[in-house]
Amino acid sequence: MSALGGPKPAGGSTGIAPVPALVSLVIFVIIFAVMYMFGGSLGMTALIGIVIGGLLIGFGVHFVPVGGAPAAMGQAPGIATGVAMLAAGGGLAGLFGGAWAASQGTVVAVVTGAIGGGLMLAITCFFVNFIYIYGMGIPAASGKVKKDPITGDSQAEYKSQGTEGHGLPFVSFVGGVIGGILGGAGGTLIYLMLLNVYQTSLPGVMKATAAQVAPIAVSLAGMFAIGMFLVIAVLAAYNITGTIEGPHDPKFKRFPRALVASAVASALCGVAAILLVMV
Amino acid sequence: MVDIVFSIGITALAGALATVAGAAEDVESDIGSQGDPNSQVQLAPQMGYIHRIYNKAIAGEPPAWGLWIALGAGIAWAFMVMQLNPILAIVLGAGLATFVQGVYSTTAYLGRTASLSKFGQPVYIDIIKSMTTVTMAHAFVAIFATVTICYLMNAALGHPFPLPLLGLVWGIALGAAGSATGNPYYGKERQYQTQNFGAGVPISASGNIVRYAEAGERNSLDNGFFTAKLGGPASGVCFGLIVFLELWRTVLFENVGAGWGAIIVGVIIILIFTVMDRFIEVWARKNYGPYTKPTEETSS
Amino acid sequence: MSVKIEVIEGGIPHQKILIAGLVLAVIGLYLSYLNVLLGTQMFAFFGGLAAIAALVWGSHSIKILASYGIGTGVPSAGMIAFGSGVIAFLFATKFGVLAPIVAIILAAIIGAILGYLANEVLSMHIPVMIKSLTEMAVVGALTLMGFSAMISGSFTFSALTSTPTSVIGKLLAMFLGSPNAATTSFSLYIGGALIATVFLLGAIAIQHGFNACLGPGWKQDRMLMLTAECGFLSMIVAAVMSAALINPAAAILSFIIGLVGWYYTYMKYIELSKRDAASWLDAKPIPEVVEGH
Repeated sequence: MSALGGPKPAGGSTGIAPVPALVSLVIFVIIFAVMYMFGGSLGMTALIGIVIGGLLIGFGVHFVPVGGAPAAMGQAPGIATGVAMLAAGGGLAGLFGGAWAASQGTVVAVVTGAIGGGLMLAITCFFVNFIYIYGMGIPAASGKVKKDPITGDSQAEYKSQGTEGHGLPFVSFVGGVIGGILGGAGGTLIYLMLLNVYQTSLPGVMKATAAQVAPIAVSLAGMFAIGMFLVIAVLAAYNITGTIEGPHDPKFKRFPRALVASAVASALCGVAAILLVMV
Repeated sequence: MVDIVFSIGITALAGALATVAGAAEDVESDIGSQGDPNSQVQLAPQMGYIHRIYNKAIAGEPPAWGLWIALGAGIAWAFMVMQLNPILAIVLGAGLATFVQGVYSTTAYLGRTASLSKFGQPVYIDIIKSMTTVTMAHAFVAIFATVTICYLMNAALGHPFPLPLLGLVWGIALGAAGSATGNPYYGKERQYQTQNFGAGVPISASGNIVRYAEAGERNSLDNGFFTAKLGGPASGVCFGLIVFLELWRTVLFENVGAGWGAIIVGVIIILIFTVMDRFIEVWARKNYGPYTKPTEETSS
Repeated sequence: MSVKIEVIEGGIPHQKILIAGLVLAVIGLYLSYLNVLLGTQMFAFFGGLAAIAALVWGSHSIKILASYGIGTGVPSAGMIAFGSGVIAFLFATKFGVLAPIVAIILAAIIGAILGYLANEVLSMHIPVMIKSLTEMAVVGALTLMGFSAMISGSFTFSALTSTPTSVIGKLLAMFLGSPNAATTSFSLYIGGALIATVFLLGAIAIQHGFNACLGPGWKQDRMLMLTAECGFLSMIVAAVMSAALINPAAAILSFIIGLVGWYYTYMKYIELSKRDAASWLDAKPIPEVVEGH
């Protein structure tokens, strides 16, 4: 994607300028103050859970090894698709599992969601390497590091000529699984927090019994969770400008500012989602 | 006990349907050059390589498939609310979603190709006429199978999400799995068939895609034949395993240890795939060997 | 996609498209509100027209944002637009008749903050980032509201007990297990999560116009026509889904309007493509090009 124009930080700048950090903090505090005024303790707990979920998603996206268009030609390592959508594929598969286990308590459901996301990306990453190795005869090689940080395998000589590497070295595979686990856990956590708020508040708002509002509560929570997931995943994808090899990539060091952005974005979306039934 | 047997049956059926869906999805996107290999079909005319490949750039595969499946599921759900038989409703939903897919395909091809007029790339009407229908056929298979999976999850296995929401979730997962597995095989192995086997495409060769076939000029149906041999089935097995294992671990072990059973089984499955991945990675390094002699020069 | 994208020159200025899209969308939404005022559902189709107006404006915003090269694909812009839009839209549905206005304001706030985060915190430093994300969040919210009004006959969350017809009421009772509560078509729309379908219908339609027409030969009128075509196509399928929630006559009316609009825009779009294409061939071989190999 390097052919596109526009200003792009070369990867060196990883920090956050002080003014935006301060502004983010102020927005964050205002959101929590609004929540405290209108939402009470139920709303506050839910909002904290949503922010934690948002942080997990924003952090998780940085682990998912995505090479974009060049990866489809074996020109760059990683999975050949878009980072936001691949993270969404894993995270939403996790959300599917987590939502299923919602009745078994928050901890079990969140862990189930995490494993669901990790499972989806583990299978996907395995098949990426499968196709590269048995379909195209290409071994995996990273373009960003000389040695795989986990296995210590040297990478440079396995890189074919004129490319930046290809396939998924072991560290990228592990990164993919971790990304899926974090995304699945974050998505499920957001869903559970909202579901709890809706199941508690909707019967009063709509003057109906809990059983009657159940489909509405599930759908609303699911839709909000997916919406927030996509917003945070796209913001995190902007942070890494679309492609990353995994946790060993120098771009990975940019994650602190994505955490700030994810926290503010999830708090912002979360407050609207909670106040829907509170104001 | 009967419950478990019933659920296992549903799980197996869902896994089988998912395998069909994944394979059809990948072949569909390869015939249409959707997803990341599209960049090369787009680039070729700019480098002077006019071609007769279908260029249907609708979006990334995951969002596009999210739409087709969610649309099929939404329409099917609406018909079910109108008291239509579920199977008929799913067929109608998949049919209408396929219609939308077909229209999007034609507009994408026309738009991209017309914007390449500067490089002399003509619009081939016969491509639209002959390829769109084939992609629509594959799309119908994939949409019908996936919406059926979603229906089974909701109606037979009791997942709380309503049908359209499940459609969105599994549509994006289908697109993600299919594009991750199938894209490199089409992008490298087919588009750049003339390049060295067993090596990535050098960046300098970008745009020089294969444009001629055994007889005459290559069209996208030839690409469909090719990718249906490995890329499609591998995508199918990938998505099939995702759906099957996710359901299997939940159905069988959900009630073991208050939910922790399914989690432990999930961790074990992840570890098995990790070991398998490491095995094939080492296998490739051993059997294919390095491209250059080690230690001499280290990459920048 | 290594296509060099040029900044727009000529054509209708963006400001005009913005104002036209915003005004038409709001007018369309309020015309669909006639449903509530007159106790009918025949005006549902105005919601679909409002959504199309918003989409056309949104596709032009995406064009402007994408000319700077955002590093990720064009579709991600549609996803963030609708991800933030759906939150603003659902919150705004509480406010009854004021819902469109609240949705615009709230979406603008969310979009502006997201733009600020992308630009300053994530150091993207794209001059139009804040403005574009603000516009796209508003477009997302208005599009969702438009299609929601079209499918369910109304865009408000509170119980509009006067609207459902008796047939639908019975079906709802069957579906939700009780005839008394939550029996508006809007609750069924949410409860059945048709909003998930509408979410993706809009998210793909908003980016398809630009994504499909990008390249050196990009033309504004062709892109906008294509987005309108995507909007009408979405309207056709939305009308089919609406048959489950509103009375058949209103659904058929929406369907016919969608079909006519789609046919017109599709034919128009093919015409424009023919105008812009290098050549228009049927079953002809690859032409000899001098600089080809």
